[in-house]
Amino acid sequence: MASSSTNASGYKASDDMRGLVSSSLSTSTPSPCGWCLSSSTSGGEVRELRPIWQLDEGFEPYRALYLHLPFCRKRCAYCDFVTEAASPDDPRLDAYVDQLVADIRAASAAGALAHIETVYLGGGTPSFFGLKRLCRLMYELSLCMRLEPEIECTMEANPDSLTLPMVRDLFALGVTRISLGVQSFDDDELRLLGRIHDAQAALRAIDLALERFDHVSIDLMCGLPGQHLETFERSLDRALSTGVDHISIYPLTIEEGTPLDHLVEKGLIPTPDDDLAADMMDLAACKCTEAGFRRYEVASYARPGGESRHNQAYWTGVPYLGLGRGAVGMKQSSDCRIRYDQEGIIEELDEAQRLVEDLMLGMRRSVGVAADDVIAACLVVPDAWEIFEALVDDGFAAYRDGRFVPTERGWLLGNVMYGRILDLAP
Amino acid sequence: MSVDPRFIRNFSIIAHIDHGKSTLSDRILELTGTVASRDMQAQLLDSMDIERERGITIKSQAVRVDYQADDGNTYHFNLIDTPGHVDFTYEVSRSLAACEGAVCVVDATQGVEAQTVANCMMAMNADLEIIPLINKIDLPAAEPERVKTEIEDGLALPAEDVVMASGKTGEGVHDLLEAVVYNVPAPEGDPNAPLRALIFDSYFDAYRGVVALIRIVDGSIRKGQTIRMMATNTEAVVEEVGVRRPSEVPAKELGVGEVGYLVTGLKDPSKVKVGDTITLPVGGCSDPLPGYRDVKPMVFTGLFPIDADQYEPLKDALERLSLNDPALIWEPETSHALGFGFRVGFLGLLHMEVIKERLEREFNLDLLATAPSVEYNVYLKNGEMISLHSPQDMPDPSAIDHVEEPFLKAKILIPPDYIGAVMDLTCARRGEFKTMNYLGMQTVEMLWEMPLSELIMDYFDQLKSRTKGYASLDYDFDCYKPSKLVKLDILLSGKAIDALSFIVHEDKAYDQGRVLCEKLKDIIPRQQFEVPIQAAVGSRILARQTVRAMRKDVLAKCYGGDISRKRKLLEAQRKGKKRMKAIGNVEVPQEAFMAILKVDE
Repeated sequence: MASSSTNASGYKASDDMRGLVSSSLSTSTPSPCGWCLSSSTSGGEVRELRPIWQLDEGFEPYRALYLHLPFCRKRCAYCDFVTEAASPDDPRLDAYVDQLVADIRAASAAGALAHIETVYLGGGTPSFFGLKRLCRLMYELSLCMRLEPEIECTMEANPDSLTLPMVRDLFALGVTRISLGVQSFDDDELRLLGRIHDAQAALRAIDLALERFDHVSIDLMCGLPGQHLETFERSLDRALSTGVDHISIYPLTIEEGTPLDHLVEKGLIPTPDDDLAADMMDLAACKCTEAGFRRYEVASYARPGGESRHNQAYWTGVPYLGLGRGAVGMKQSSDCRIRYDQEGIIEELDEAQRLVEDLMLGMRRSVGVAADDVIAACLVVPDAWEIFEALVDDGFAAYRDGRFVPTERGWLLGNVMYGRILDLAP
Repeated sequence: MSVDPRFIRNFSIIAHIDHGKSTLSDRILELTGTVASRDMQAQLLDSMDIERERGITIKSQAVRVDYQADDGNTYHFNLIDTPGHVDFTYEVSRSLAACEGAVCVVDATQGVEAQTVANCMMAMNADLEIIPLINKIDLPAAEPERVKTEIEDGLALPAEDVVMASGKTGEGVHDLLEAVVYNVPAPEGDPNAPLRALIFDSYFDAYRGVVALIRIVDGSIRKGQTIRMMATNTEAVVEEVGVRRPSEVPAKELGVGEVGYLVTGLKDPSKVKVGDTITLPVGGCSDPLPGYRDVKPMVFTGLFPIDADQYEPLKDALERLSLNDPALIWEPETSHALGFGFRVGFLGLLHMEVIKERLEREFNLDLLATAPSVEYNVYLKNGEMISLHSPQDMPDPSAIDHVEEPFLKAKILIPPDYIGAVMDLTCARRGEFKTMNYLGMQTVEMLWEMPLSELIMDYFDQLKSRTKGYASLDYDFDCYKPSKLVKLDILLSGKAIDALSFIVHEDKAYDQGRVLCEKLKDIIPRQQFEVPIQAAVGSRILARQTVRAMRKDVLAKCYGGDISRKRKLLEAQRKGKKRMKAIGNVEVPQEAFMAILKVDE
């Protein structure tokens, strides 16, 4: 999203609708997370503006909170996330944090934060917002919810903007985990990706983070144009020697319209080779396991206790509240699952689609899906068992101890496997 | 009372494609006040969307225009707009037969091209008075003097008769209309003789049945009369006659020399054939007008619905289209690979493209077309002859005595620089060079004899690209001749795919098989398993390639918002698969069936 308005929120309601905001919401300005009109049950004439995340009766409480911070110093060449480049003293950053704080307060006042167990500050680049703004945000958050040590609170950071004071202060304010966007330890590859840090900066940032945090995660990419198995292996070795307890490894997806896409289209850089990427994923699985990491999801490796609880919430059908421009939230009741962002509802899944989605997400994780769950799903989607048996026959899954678990082949050909499962309830 | 023939002028506008025929027609309608400027729509006579979009004329049109000439008299012009493409040569010849004159339009920047010559020859053979016209003189790149020389040398028309005009600005259109008055002869015919009229086009109207465009040669035709179509021996009652201006205006009768429309109420379009003669059932004329022939399709292709449920809708659509297009013929075809579909015959490649596009656009069908083929005459050892429309029906080689294929006379016009390029290409396409003439300094006419099967294999695109777009091509069916032809099969995972088979000259089988395997390797996406591709003649394998098994297909990230994105991507993938045909367990994209067209030498 490339909004240039000084109002950092991509708020869509017009100014004159503000007067309609219900007084029960302790916010005086429009919110970045969007509102929807709903008529109150009695009278039918009194109209009330309600945020889209608001939970109606029958909806499960949110147990995870995602806060989106959509600004970066520079957009990376592969990026198609909701973010935009800004300078660190851009007033839009202050305005944005004001908005987000207002939203957090509103959510808190509505009781939406009462059951939150994990928090994730993602972006964009949260660390780019600078210590002052982040402290304000964390302080306000701690006033609005129970931000105790057992609450996992992850913040994404980039090596170039993470500082020692930031590490110390954020730790003190309740952040428990840092996720560093390292991507590679090869300077040529980093340049190609349009990252502003080099390998040295990444190592320094990891050391900084480890000074306070027990839980530090880094991202690595494979399947980069021009990447060799050897350069990837070197990055991997370095990552494993740093002392982080979590590594996410994913193959690059060249998204349409990104600078990288243009370069590939023009033939200036080679199209990444899928076979090579597959070799890299195999290598990563092998080396990480040797080093004491466990692959608990197709792209996630952790030392025992280092698993991201927040990410697991996404994969296990836990409702999550998303605040901020472009943030996606999920709410569900017994008969529907809704994903939304500030613009409105993105998708509304019926019971069958929801069941099937849970099965699909389960097969991304190493624990897979319990056979009992597949049998239970058959009540709604009768072909479920047949499909899972076929996955085993085709070598995508294995049946072990009463569970269907993904095989290496199933993970590498994930689209085929997930597609077959999702096809149960299109 | 019908119109005095002395004040009638019937003429056509003929041109190579894109030389501005339809725009010029628009200006004539505007200048004569036939259509008010405010109702003017570009290329008014091209009524189909596809005609306007592609800038081609597919159906003929006839429009009555009243022109107040400089001599003070009002003339009735019947302007007949004809199809410009070589696929429709017969239709053009019938439209010309309805005229006494023709305006031969030549683009001031392009000069004389193959179809200019071909259409002009046709007009001369039909004894028409020809008015040469150089169009688009307003363009900066116009070279009217050069084009004049070409008209004189290439078309043997006197340069001093050339009218200079611009269909865009309207310049010269008045001169043209005056030239029509003075140079095009008035129609001659016997008003007292029995009715004799030519059908030069027809179309189907859901409410009124078949409507024919006709030219009265002798006698007259009026509402209520019973008439007889001579070639189809069909009788009908005239429900309405009239003229188009360009909206239909009913008339009491149409007399000698007049051009108009005829509503018959007939529901079967095959009874009203282009080129047929209309007369009276009793006391009619004895001889039909010359030139009638049964239109035969030249190019055949298999059309299969991608979704088997669309078989019936496809059949309905073909039925609907053939109501307006008697040249379109089709029969059911069954393919092991593609299921149920139709073998459809067309006049030529453009006709095929247009029909396929209309089926997809107007009837919302997802179609898979196999590579076009021609009609082969297969002579069996037992003396039997089979007309082969589809390679998959090729009998076992041991039973075949010999095979004949259609040959064409092709006329290619190019600047002399490209003689070598055309020689190379056309010889490689089994063309036999006949002769060459210079039409002026800058245009050479080459005459070739070549198999139609080679021409439909992307020949024209190749010709254009090798001559930087300068070449123009016209062709005419010549005869059937024996050739050493074999059926080349393509095997996927060891199984022959009938829809990918094609017939090829024995000497070219190896090369084409090899190149096609390479093409298919790039076209067929990697599957979850290895797919061998083989080209074979009979049991002899000529070439082999392998599509390696896909190892990785994964969307790695799956956090909050990614889950919806993933679902959308997988949905898109599913749609993409719909555009493919599962043959056995191999997903084959549509391009695979057309790959043979793109096998370059």
